[in-house]
Amino acid sequence: MGVEPGRVHFSWISSAESTKFVEVVKQVTEAVRQLGPNENFVKKELKVA
Amino acid sequence: MTCIKIDKQLWAQGLAAAEAQYRLFGPVKQGALYQFDALAAGQTPDLDGPNTRTSARAVVYPQSEVLFEYSLDSRDPEAHVLKETPAPAPRAALAVRPCDAYSFVLVRRNFEAPDVKDVYWLRNYAATVFVGLACDRPCSTCFCTSAGCGPYHEEGLDVLLVDEENHYLAKTITDKGAAFLQTAGWRTPADPEAEARIAQRRSAAEARVVSTVPTDRLAQIPQLELYAANFWQDVAFACINCGTCTYLCPTCWCFDIQDETRGNQGIRLRNWDSCMFPLFTLHGSGHNPRGQKVQRVRQRFMHKLKYYVDKYGDGIQCVGCGRCVQYCPVNIDIRRVCELMNGYGQNAACKVA
Amino acid sequence: MGAYTDKIREIAGRLLKDCQVEMVIGFRKGSMPMMNEPCFVTRADAVDQLVWDGSCGINLANYLTGRTEARIGVVAKGCDSRNIVTHIIENKIKREQLTIIGVPCTGMIDKRRLKNLAPGEVLAVEEDGERVVVRGDGFETVHQRREVLQANCAVCHHRNPVIHDELVGDPVSEQTEVDRYADVRAIEGLSAKEKWDYFEALLAPCLRCYACRNACPLCYCPTCFVDEAMPQWVGKSQNPVDVRTFHFLRAYHCAGRCTDCGSCERACPVGINMRLFTKKLEKDAYEMWGWEAGLSLEQRPPLDTYRPEDPEPFIK
Ligand code: SF4
Ligand code: SF4
Ligand code: SF4
Ligand code: SF4
Repeated sequence: MGVEPGRVHFSWISSAESTKFVEVVKQVTEAVRQLGPNENFVKKELKVA
Repeated sequence: MTCIKIDKQLWAQGLAAAEAQYRLFGPVKQGALYQFDALAAGQTPDLDGPNTRTSARAVVYPQSEVLFEYSLDSRDPEAHVLKETPAPAPRAALAVRPCDAYSFVLVRRNFEAPDVKDVYWLRNYAATVFVGLACDRPCSTCFCTSAGCGPYHEEGLDVLLVDEENHYLAKTITDKGAAFLQTAGWRTPADPEAEARIAQRRSAAEARVVSTVPTDRLAQIPQLELYAANFWQDVAFACINCGTCTYLCPTCWCFDIQDETRGNQGIRLRNWDSCMFPLFTLHGSGHNPRGQKVQRVRQRFMHKLKYYVDKYGDGIQCVGCGRCVQYCPVNIDIRRVCELMNGYGQNAACKVA
Repeated sequence: MGAYTDKIREIAGRLLKDCQVEMVIGFRKGSMPMMNEPCFVTRADAVDQLVWDGSCGINLANYLTGRTEARIGVVAKGCDSRNIVTHIIENKIKREQLTIIGVPCTGMIDKRRLKNLAPGEVLAVEEDGERVVVRGDGFETVHQRREVLQANCAVCHHRNPVIHDELVGDPVSEQTEVDRYADVRAIEGLSAKEKWDYFEALLAPCLRCYACRNACPLCYCPTCFVDEAMPQWVGKSQNPVDVRTFHFLRAYHCAGRCTDCGSCERACPVGINMRLFTKKLEKDAYEMWGWEAGLSLEQRPPLDTYRPEDPEPFIK
């Protein structure tokens, strides 16, 4: 539907896997930062019609 | 009343001249649909189609309209002050069908009541000049002639255009209309027989409207009897309570007010609403006096064909455009319901399975 | 088609006369060409209202939601029967309440297509086997039925009712050769930006009348998320973000449940093909879990079961 691949991530992380959690968070933030802000779902103008 | 002749060669040119002073609206083809919409610069309205899917209602009464703007920023000296949006510049609704134009006459009774005035509707209405196009090819679903107007009806219009092959005859109805024609630079008077020809075409077009609704008994049947009539379950069964009929209808006027904020800035808008939606009557307590579909369907028809009739004593709140008949996804036909209501208690026409 | 109508009347009359059902839900002839009206009949002498032809595209499962009558007869084509199965699985109606009058279906006529093809206003449409005759003021055109079917019917794989107590005719052959997902694949091939723009244009005329949602048997929530007022999730104006939010979320709520009956698309007053959203999810359900909604009363839908072999390549 037009959301860039890489904006949404899924991962299984157990509560015991703290290092994996840190890794994944780093990866995700990096990937999303590269895509830039998601403007698509921001209402561009308050004004309508 | 004067008649102007507009050579079709001068049509686009005149509109271009009018554009300098008026924002233009008219029928445009979007995909497979004819819609009534704002025209882009230099665009001419498309007059070849049937009546537009959405009515001209939105020119005066848009589906979403910003009424106020406000700021919630405490550093702003005007924080929390509701500031009215500016009034619209003059606009022209081109090639409005006479039925749609007449709908504004009906709707105005609601928005300009003796005690309450809806300033937003009224200022949009006042800013608009209605340039009608007489209708020579009514659809099989049109029943305007029995709904208080007709294919050449002039009430609600400022100018009536009549298509005569190579030119339009423009019958000036109001000063507002005359001013618009002036601005467009159309000044050639029509020949003296023009009015007679219009009258002739009018009768011919009226004869082509084959569909009718009976309304003669609506006023005399007691409200509560109609309300309690035995046909409502049957009428309402198929209805899915979408708002199609009410959103396409030129005479529906209900709205809902919403605030939307983003950060510290906000707007107050009004959106069309519909008696077909359960939310329409939901109370803050959670109680819903029209919680069932049959109650909502009954409300729509009772409002248009009974309450309005009783309140204003000038016919039904319907101009016979046939949109709801054509686009109701489950074929609930106001003509049939009107027949059931009008014939109530009189004959066995109220077929209930 | 006349034979189906006769048979439906006969069965409905018998069920009502023998008090096997309290009501029969079916279609009656509409006041417009290609528009039949869902209706109910409670007396055997009123069954002559009932009709069947290629304009019965509204999904009648939608009219069963929450009905309390102990015995209901319902006319059901292939897709309706699959939505009835879904309704039963989701506890919206009980199997024991229903007497299903199955209709082997040859597809519904695409009213918009025919109207667009016609040189003038369509005043009458007649079906005569494979031929569809369209009449209007001063014209008459003949089409092949399979050329004027609704897009979903043209690729339908389950035209015969999957459950039924009565059947109004011999089963029809299923269309096994058709390519079901050409339209979805075309969109899948676009870039993210192109997809966004495509859907922006697709939804531009949307009025938010919600006919698509309300015509859908799956959309039975007492209060839809777009109508929720406390808290309010979605803005109510014509802002495109709100319009899109409605469509995207509604589609997701139909994942693994949609039977591609086409009621939503058929109902839309401005001709939007919002079915593309649900169809993508229908395709995913089919390709990932081999699931087609409403085929069996025994099997649980993929979204409420876990199987170790569920595909999960998207999880890192
Ligand atoms: S009720 Fe129907 S026919 Fe009457 S004005 Fe409204 S849309 Fe047109
Ligand atoms: S368009 Fe038809 S189905 Fe939709 S609310 Fe109106 S009457 Fe009911
Ligand atoms: S989707 Fe299949 S069963 Fe449903 S109406 Fe179309 S052809 Fe018939
Ligand atoms: S039926 Fe059409 S116009 Fe109405 S909400 Fe659905 S897509 Fe929008």
